[in-house]
Amino acid sequence: MESKEVLDELKTILVARLKFDPRRAAETSESTPLPKGIEGSIGLDSLDFIELSIAIEERFGIAMDENQDLTEYFASFDTLSRFIAGKLPSA
Amino acid sequence: MKPVVVTGLGAVSPYGAGVVAYWKGLAAGVCTIRDLTLIETDGFRCRIGAEVPGPLAGSARRTRADRLAIAAAGEALEDAGLGARDRRAAALVVGAVGGGMLEAEAWYWRGGARPACLSAVRAMLPSAHAETLSSRFALGGPRHTVVTACSSGAVALAEAAELIADGVVDVALAGGVDAVTRICFMGFNALKLLDPVPCRPFDRERRGMSIGEGAGFMVLESRARARARGAHVYATLAGHGMTTDAFHVTAPEPDGDGMVRAMTAALRQAGAAPAEVRYANAHGTGTPQNDRIEGRALARVFGEGGLLVSSSKSMIGHTMAAAGSLEAIATVLALEHGVVPPTANLATPDPDVPFDCVPRVSRGVPLACAISNSFGFGGQNVTLLFRRGPA
Repeated sequence: MESKEVLDELKTILVARLKFDPRRAAETSESTPLPKGIEGSIGLDSLDFIELSIAIEERFGIAMDENQDLTEYFASFDTLSRFIAGKLPSA
Repeated sequence: MKPVVVTGLGAVSPYGAGVVAYWKGLAAGVCTIRDLTLIETDGFRCRIGAEVPGPLAGSARRTRADRLAIAAAGEALEDAGLGARDRRAAALVVGAVGGGMLEAEAWYWRGGARPACLSAVRAMLPSAHAETLSSRFALGGPRHTVVTACSSGAVALAEAAELIADGVVDVALAGGVDAVTRICFMGFNALKLLDPVPCRPFDRERRGMSIGEGAGFMVLESRARARARGAHVYATLAGHGMTTDAFHVTAPEPDGDGMVRAMTAALRQAGAAPAEVRYANAHGTGTPQNDRIEGRALARVFGEGGLLVSSSKSMIGHTMAAAGSLEAIATVLALEHGVVPPTANLATPDPDVPFDCVPRVSRGVPLACAISNSFGFGGQNVTLLFRRGPA
């Protein structure tokens, strides 16, 4: 799966699992910051990150280590989709 | 009152995932109680239980109990063939006790320090299962969590049936779930209610229960709606009775009055005569008190030897909040297949229990009507009465 396909899946998760307005999800770009409190971000809070992690693991069949600091990968759609693509077997 | 029917079944049991594996194990009389691996048991007088074998559905970031619930609930919804619109209006009633306690205990025992297993600790409360299931399956109707100790899963089914019978909803997903936890294991050890060998319900030598884990869910539906959409109907939940002993925190009332009232109420609601009921899936924990008093209560309602009695806990242990719903599923499948699952580990029948308790080998018997008993600590008694098919 290419990074671009992963990105599309992430946008689907944003709407289906995190209940974001579909228009808002469509407006985001690869560089849009994810965490709340950063200018121009989509404003995910700590609970959103937990839901997002669960949804990613169940959608892509990967496991993320909770003891590892994943902050840098969850910075934007771009960093996150590359992180996921790197964990997929085909990569 | 609208008739309520069963149109979907889902189970995750110590036999593994799925209703097929569950029934195959029960019908073959296979006991799954062995050394516990999920928790530390060094130094306890009892060190066994019935665990669900892996791998489990869903992300490892979820609690074990949530993963059991997701698999069983998903199977029941799929079995019933409920689409998105049906689910949008469906009620959800979940029997729960331990919640995400297994993971919360692990976190606590590590000193409660960060990095915590945050996603699991967040799902610690018993109500978390209902939140997880409603979100995962887009269930949009009323949402209840029932916490009535060991009868939770049966009360969940009874309350869902009432929501349908009263016309609040047409369809509901209901059942119960529990994973093995330290607090449950250690608590029952401290109460000296656990048998050091696999539990032996209705045996004269029985010394207590064995703990287990799992999840059981049913899709319940108004009969009219099930007919209109051509759904397969396993059984009719024709009656239920719910009573309270108001007697003691752990011991059942010695004459079994509360149990008798629950069974009588279920018969009355179903308009069934005692002689119509040919099988009772007993609460049958294997503790000296429960089995003796339950036997006495059954005899008061149905007459000595009046029906076949067996305990699924002899094979899958006491699955706590899941027990009432997993055993209701066993009862429905017994009706469907005309087979009474046995009581495993039963070698020397207790003369105080005046019934054929189907020792070790299942029995082929055409059945039209059967009950499932569930009794929680504090005397929280529930009887569910099922009739075969759409009745």
